[in-house]
Amino acid sequence: MLRHSLTAVIARNEKWSGTSATEPYEVGWAQEVAVFITALKSEGLNKGNAAARVQMSPDGMRWVDEGTTLDVPTVVDGVSMARLRGFGNWLRVVAEIAPSGNASVIVTLHLK
Amino acid sequence: MQTATTHDTLRAMRHADPALSRFDPLPRLLCLDNFNTGSCGFVQLIGNYEGSLDSMLPEYARYSQPMLSTINHWDTGSQGAMSGNYALKLATRAQAGSQNVAIKRLTFRKRGPIRLEFYFTFKPEASEMRLSEADVRSVGFLLDLQTGDRDGDAARVMPHMRFLNAKDGNHAQKWQFKRQTSPVRKLGTDNKVVSHVHLAEDDWENLADADQRLCYNEIPTKINWHYGCFDFDLETMQATQFRCNDRVFDLQGIYDCIRLPAMPNLWCMLNLAFFVDTDADKRAFLYLDSVCLSGDF
Repeated sequence: MLRHSLTAVIARNEKWSGTSATEPYEVGWAQEVAVFITALKSEGLNKGNAAARVQMSPDGMRWVDEGTTLDVPTVVDGVSMARLRGFGNWLRVVAEIAPSGNASVIVTLHLK
Repeated sequence: MQTATTHDTLRAMRHADPALSRFDPLPRLLCLDNFNTGSCGFVQLIGNYEGSLDSMLPEYARYSQPMLSTINHWDTGSQGAMSGNYALKLATRAQAGSQNVAIKRLTFRKRGPIRLEFYFTFKPEASEMRLSEADVRSVGFLLDLQTGDRDGDAARVMPHMRFLNAKDGNHAQKWQFKRQTSPVRKLGTDNKVVSHVHLAEDDWENLADADQRLCYNEIPTKINWHYGCFDFDLETMQATQFRCNDRVFDLQGIYDCIRLPAMPNLWCMLNLAFFVDTDADKRAFLYLDSVCLSGDF
C-alpha cells in the first residue's frame, strides 16, 4: 500500500508580530514531518533570527518546546524549514518577534 | 430501472458488508469515505481571491485544514472513531463565533436523486471540568450545486442545514436552514472573481418541529455518534427529506435553499461541505466518522 502523505496549511496569510501561535494540529498518524514557513510579507527581521519554534503537546491544550527552531523569513517568498520525527500527536509553531518586526506567513506541515 | 430481484440482491449484499450496512444508500455509490484511509478529498474551504490573499473576504480568511484524529482527550486518551481509529476533525479557533468548514468538490453526471449520509459528533475542547453543553454553537452541512451548462433552468443552488446547539449561551438544540446569502461582491480587477458569505450567522430559519435533543453525554470527553441523512433531487433542485437518528423532518412547504444566478465556471458542480461554529471562547470540534454519497442513476 502506498504510504499516506498530507500537506497541511496550518497558517495562511497570518500576520505574526509579538507572540503568535498556529492552531493545534493532530499528526499522530505520521512518522515524519517537514515544517515550512513561507513569508508573504516580512519587515524588520534579521537573518538567523530563530524566532519560530516547534511545540508538542500531550492534549492539544498544554504545550512544551520540542527543541527545533526556525527562522521567520526576512524577505518576501523566503522559506525556512525543519525536519522532525517522534513528535507525538499534536504540533504547533510558535513565534516571538521583536516589536520592530513582523511577517505575514504561510506555515505548512508535510506529513507522511 | 432495477427489478425487485435486483433490488433485493443489492440490498442483501450491502447489508452483508459492515462498511455499508450502517447506511441506506441509493443504488449508485459515489463516495464511501472512511477516514482511516486519509482525508478522502475533504479540504479546508478557502475564500476566493485575486492578486493577493488580502483580497479574500475576512469571513473566509481564518478557516483551517481538517485533520485526522483519534479523538484524544487528556483524561481518557484516544477514543478512536466509530469505525477504526481515525475520524475527520474540524476545529474552530478559541473565539466565540469562530467557524470552520471542510469541503469535498465533485461534479454530477445526471440530474436525479442523491443522498448524503454521515455519522458525526461534536464537542467543545475539554479545557474546563464543566459539562460545557452549550459551548458549541452549531454543526451542519451544505451542498453547493449548479445546473449543467445546457440546462434551461440555469442556477446555483446551495441547500444548507445546521443543528443550532446553542446561541449566546442558550441551549437551543434545533435544526435550521437558510435561504439568504450575503450580497455577491466582486474581487480584484479582472471582473472574473466574486465572493459571498453563505454561512453567515444571519438568516437561519427553523425547520418545522425543529427541536431535537441529541445525546451529548455527561462530560466533555464522552462522545456518542449520530446519524444524518439528507435527500436532494438534482432534477428539481429541491430537498426531499432530512433524518437525524430517530427523527424524520418534513421539508415540504418550508425548506428551501439559497438560490443564485448560475456562475460562469461552476457547471454540474456537486460540492459537499461540513461546518462547525463555537459559541464560547473555546474551540469547537466536529468529527465525521464516515460519509456516504449515493445517487439514483
